[in-house]
Amino acid sequence: MREGIRDKVAIVGVGCCKFGENWDQSPSDMIVDAAYEAYADAGIDDPQARIDAVFTGSIYSNKGPHECSDALKLWKPVTMVSNYCATGTDAFRCAVMSIACGMYDTVLVVGYDKPKDRGVSGPSVVMSQVRDLPQTPAGWFSLAAARYFERFGAGREDLARISVKNHHNGTLAPKSFLKREITVEDVLSARIISWPFGLYDCAAQTDGAAAAIVTRADLAKGFRDDPVYVKAVTVFGGPNPQKDPSNDFLSWKPTVHAAKEAYRQAGISDPFRQIDVAQLHDCFSLTELLSYEDLGFCEKGQGKEHVAAGTFALGGELPVNTDGGLKSFGHPTGATGVRMIYENVLQLQRRAGPRQVESPSLALSHNIGGHPTSCGIAILGI
Amino acid sequence: MAAGIVSYGAYVPVTRLPFALVAGRAAKEGGPEKAVAWNDEDAVTMAVAAAASCLRGHDRAGVDALWFASTTYPFHEKQAAALVARALDLPRATRTADYSGSLRSGLQALRGAFDAVAAGTARRVLVVASDCRLPAPGSALETNFGDGAAAFLVGDAEAIASFEAGFAVADEIVDLWRGEGESFVHSWEDRFVVQEGYAPRIAEAVAGLFERLGIGPAECARVALFAPDARSHADAARRLRIPAERLQDPLFGRLGNAGAAYAPLLLAAALEGAKPGERLVAAGYGDGAEALSLQTTAAIEKLEPRRGVSWHLARRRAVKSYDRYLKARGLQTREWPQAHDAGLSATIHFRERDEDLSFCGQRCRRCGAVQFPMQRVCETCFAKDEFERVRLSDRTGRVVTYTFDFFFPTPDPPTVVTITEVEGARIHLQLVNVAPEQVKLEMPVEFVFRKIHETGGRPNYYWKAVPLETER
Repeated sequence: MREGIRDKVAIVGVGCCKFGENWDQSPSDMIVDAAYEAYADAGIDDPQARIDAVFTGSIYSNKGPHECSDALKLWKPVTMVSNYCATGTDAFRCAVMSIACGMYDTVLVVGYDKPKDRGVSGPSVVMSQVRDLPQTPAGWFSLAAARYFERFGAGREDLARISVKNHHNGTLAPKSFLKREITVEDVLSARIISWPFGLYDCAAQTDGAAAAIVTRADLAKGFRDDPVYVKAVTVFGGPNPQKDPSNDFLSWKPTVHAAKEAYRQAGISDPFRQIDVAQLHDCFSLTELLSYEDLGFCEKGQGKEHVAAGTFALGGELPVNTDGGLKSFGHPTGATGVRMIYENVLQLQRRAGPRQVESPSLALSHNIGGHPTSCGIAILGI
Repeated sequence: MAAGIVSYGAYVPVTRLPFALVAGRAAKEGGPEKAVAWNDEDAVTMAVAAAASCLRGHDRAGVDALWFASTTYPFHEKQAAALVARALDLPRATRTADYSGSLRSGLQALRGAFDAVAAGTARRVLVVASDCRLPAPGSALETNFGDGAAAFLVGDAEAIASFEAGFAVADEIVDLWRGEGESFVHSWEDRFVVQEGYAPRIAEAVAGLFERLGIGPAECARVALFAPDARSHADAARRLRIPAERLQDPLFGRLGNAGAAYAPLLLAAALEGAKPGERLVAAGYGDGAEALSLQTTAAIEKLEPRRGVSWHLARRRAVKSYDRYLKARGLQTREWPQAHDAGLSATIHFRERDEDLSFCGQRCRRCGAVQFPMQRVCETCFAKDEFERVRLSDRTGRVVTYTFDFFFPTPDPPTVVTITEVEGARIHLQLVNVAPEQVKLEMPVEFVFRKIHETGGRPNYYWKAVPLETER
């Protein structure tokens, strides 16, 4: 049996810049905001001496890994990870593995992206392909809707409630992009992007950077008294589900596979009861709905009943996307996984202010991206 | 050796532009209109559709030449016939050639095929004429031009109509022209064009043919005359003393003058209604004129039902506004000129010809699963490099799931996007010729060759799904 990663590595500092359309900030500016907040959080005043290596993740960067080294003036080993929407979680996973194997003691993780320099709202429509057009994430993730709706009798209203919840949570997070309550009617009457997704079913694409400092578990208390421990971290990749002849379009297999592995690592048998707070990849409202089920929080097809009952709202049994999620906190792709870790660390350390969940001890974060082909899951605990 | 037409096919775009919209009025049901290629169609895609219909039931491996005729192939340097042959998945040894430059090129290619088969230098020649001419918006030509394609399989046996004789005259006249780098067809004053060009030349060609055969209009069952407009058509028929009941409907107000494909389309329409033992005459005009005569055989009665001109004319979707037509034909003003970078990588285009142009996938020799595109490792049993090529373009599929995309730039959103299953292979494909409310899970589909976009200022072609239809 594989030994896994549980309790070998700890997070001792986190940081996150303000997410949004950061017209006046370069990627370097945001990286510095996030990393220096994480340094301070870990009590590090001499990063050149305390940081052994850097793992960075971005999918829009046209400069490569040196963008991070140059911003922080770190003369350290550096690795850049690119793994669709799981990029941030994967950079974190690589950092955690590098410590667990004894290569390094203390490592900086930085996820960032700057999509708002491209002059377009939403994905760019540069045609680089002949097949697989239109190439928009909304078009890929919406392909599950027709079959799911037909099988389980769900509709756009069920999805709308998820967006309403995440908009509400976003109003409580100081660094979130959108701080505006919306109604189910707002969601239903917005212009359609890719049916059934209207504008409010889609995450807000923003600029942003988030950082974490990870170290050996036995060194963690030298940084702070309340370190958060890595219970599980995994990234799953598979072939394109659009070609998969066994795909029923009722769930996304990458999440199902990654959850199984993450729960094995963390020793979780009943995720709904054991996990206290979760950050799920709500790139689109339906993606969050499918993730409740694919992660085993509820039975397949039951997601909409739980949404209606408020199970996943801030005061519910298992609060999801406590900071507003991709929908309203914002989605700078490479930063998102690390931003979720930032939120889960704040929640576990009781530092989440008005959105604080009652005494959580186990927190999950989840990303899914590509067609979707990649899923990252990190489970943290105290 | 006797040469004749073994099979035929036609294509008329389902989209129609009502003339009322051109005049700025609301369209009325049953009013005059013309067939227009939509933004994903051009001379090449229409040619592939007509040819696929013509080849139904015939062994594609038996085709030894493909001749393509058009005045609107998008490239000055680069052949259309080779591209059409690739999309049809014809044998590599197919001889290909383009006939172009003249409105007469469609009939000329057909005559060339008869000559080659008669001479014994080819056994089965596929002739495809297709045109998609662009009249200037608001010009007099706009309501006369239509788009379409016709295809004929010419052979030395099993002909449904045998070639009898032809007569051609060449002439030089500046009547209609389009110069290097120009988008729109120009015309000199229409009275000059008809009086000194069209009318005397078409009469000369048809009369010459009659004289050669020693016949008159009474010995013809059907005469298909090219014409620039309805009035000139009627005048020409009167001059040649062709009775109305023997005149093939020139389809003005429904299809329009389809350029190099026009006389071939009228011939295809004449074949549709023909009985054995009839003489059919087709005459084309352009830089002179040309007339051909054919005698139908008993085999025409046994020809399987096909998608001819009437099948296509019965299926129509009116354009909703003139503005959408302008967008579809690339005639709207843009904030930015279309990007003229190098476009899609030529090496990727080269590597993916089998998938993108021939729409071929692969069957795993070990587990039998069909998949698309070609891959090294089997999606199902993980066997490596154990595949055989499978043509999917002539199969039917079903819609596994779908979405409506409003984001992709198109003149008429939304774009219907599906996962379609064909022979077990799942493919991400656009679904066209369908209104969103008609899209259903599991609906059966067939496949059409279309332009997917024009990155690099070039047409880039691929396949799309359309609702499955029967031949009748």
